[in-house]
Amino acid sequence: MGLFDTILGRTKPVQSNLDALFALPSASITLQSAAGQSCSGHAGVCFKPPSGQGFEEMQSEVVKLLAMDGGTGFRKAEDSYGYQWLVIEDADIEQLVTQIHLVNSSLSDAGWGPQLLCSVFGLADLPAEDPAAPPEGGAGAGLPMPEPTAGPGRVIPSTAYLVYLFKRGTFYPFVPDGHEHRDLERELKLKSLVADDLTVESDLDRWFPLWDLPVG
Amino acid sequence: MSTARNIPNDRGLTIRMFTTGLMIVVLYGAVIGLLIAVGISYSVVLVIAAAILFAQYWFSDKIALFGMGGHLVTPEQAPQLHGAIDRLCALADMKKPRVAIADTDVPNAFATGRSPNNAVVCATTGLLRRLDEPELEAVLAHELSHVAHRDVAVMTIASFLGVVAGMVTRIMFWTGMMGGFGGGRSSNNSQGGQDNAVLVEMAVLVVSVVVYAISFLLTRALSRYRELAADRSGALLTGQPSVLASALVKVTGEMARIPTRDLRAAENFNAFYFTPAISPKGISLSTLFSTHPSLDTRLAQLATIEAELGRPS
Repeated sequence: MGLFDTILGRTKPVQSNLDALFALPSASITLQSAAGQSCSGHAGVCFKPPSGQGFEEMQSEVVKLLAMDGGTGFRKAEDSYGYQWLVIEDADIEQLVTQIHLVNSSLSDAGWGPQLLCSVFGLADLPAEDPAAPPEGGAGAGLPMPEPTAGPGRVIPSTAYLVYLFKRGTFYPFVPDGHEHRDLERELKLKSLVADDLTVESDLDRWFPLWDLPVG
Repeated sequence: MSTARNIPNDRGLTIRMFTTGLMIVVLYGAVIGLLIAVGISYSVVLVIAAAILFAQYWFSDKIALFGMGGHLVTPEQAPQLHGAIDRLCALADMKKPRVAIADTDVPNAFATGRSPNNAVVCATTGLLRRLDEPELEAVLAHELSHVAHRDVAVMTIASFLGVVAGMVTRIMFWTGMMGGFGGGRSSNNSQGGQDNAVLVEMAVLVVSVVVYAISFLLTRALSRYRELAADRSGALLTGQPSVLASALVKVTGEMARIPTRDLRAAENFNAFYFTPAISPKGISLSTLFSTHPSLDTRLAQLATIEAELGRPS
């Protein structure tokens, strides 16, 4: 916000910044090899719905677009802060990222960028391919090395999340641990793991918690 | 694909605010010129006033919290409040201010602090009790707009003139009383000179009083425009002007029902508040003197924004 805007008491609404989303599949691969984790197949877009017909129409158009694109596992949800979510599930991570990007870019191109709060991608520990198999060599979790696909091949419940802040174009990890409690140590660990692939938010103050997350 | 709302900037509000600020600056110039014409000693007045005002500005957050009995709260102590502010700050891409709660049943909220990096947003327990979550969020968005617009700094600078004029007026008054406005006559030669000195002193006094009065009115007008601007920005941030309107009506309506004792304590701090702590029954000040626009004006602006949002395009 410039000086002139300050003097006149005007706030320019901040626009969103979307290209960073496409770095997520490679981050998922890194997490797989480094920590036996990957994207869980759950993701969601969070926005503050403004009043008025315009946004309602926009929302139905976005839902139609998603359906046309072949997406089937999406639903609307609302959280306790009055923000709305569009939750998507897709085992194919590339497809998931594309759909999330589609939602964001449609809303943003239509001028609703200022209403977008964040997008969330679920992470989960990769299940062992074959629990009975003897552990193969190498440090780490002892899991057999899966092929470098960007996901577990199916949708599994998330234990951690990567939150993407539009207004900053950055990610931050969020690991809820029980009721309204977060595991900061694991979050910082996640941060160091994905820092090469994703732009992680450097200001820790902005890692705000999302307690009643409707993303699975 | 339908296009988005395209809310035009409110040119009228911007022009009025700019004009008010400009007139304050012109008055600044006039007073400083006057002080220089009169003599160096009045620069001392300026320096003292500047020092006091700077201290008031630098410590504004501590002063305001102390004055209104607010105390900082952690996210564990007030999770809903922190959560709402977290999200609003992420929506607005601004640094999150510190959060405080003041223990009083008067429903109100204020923002203070010398810059967005040193800001505090405070809500009273009375407010938290009375408003539901969307309304609380709308009020918080209004307060965060004050932080983003640097209103503390702007109003401090604008009120500087009033402070200086007020001090000059008082000093002139006391000097005049002590000196008897020119003193006794000593000789014929210096008669003319003494009369001139008296005239100059009286002129300074009169001008100071007039300047003080004008700057007071202008500063109040600027405060009202800043409040409208914060209403506007807050409503655009949440995208729900009618919720802010409903919060305003609730809070103003509640003021009438609060026993007079509480309100009298809060009235001194009107400039900081979301809405002035005056019960409608007790209003004797005209709009000119008010730090906040009238409820009707605020509701009218919010209704306009609501209509603009609802316009399909």
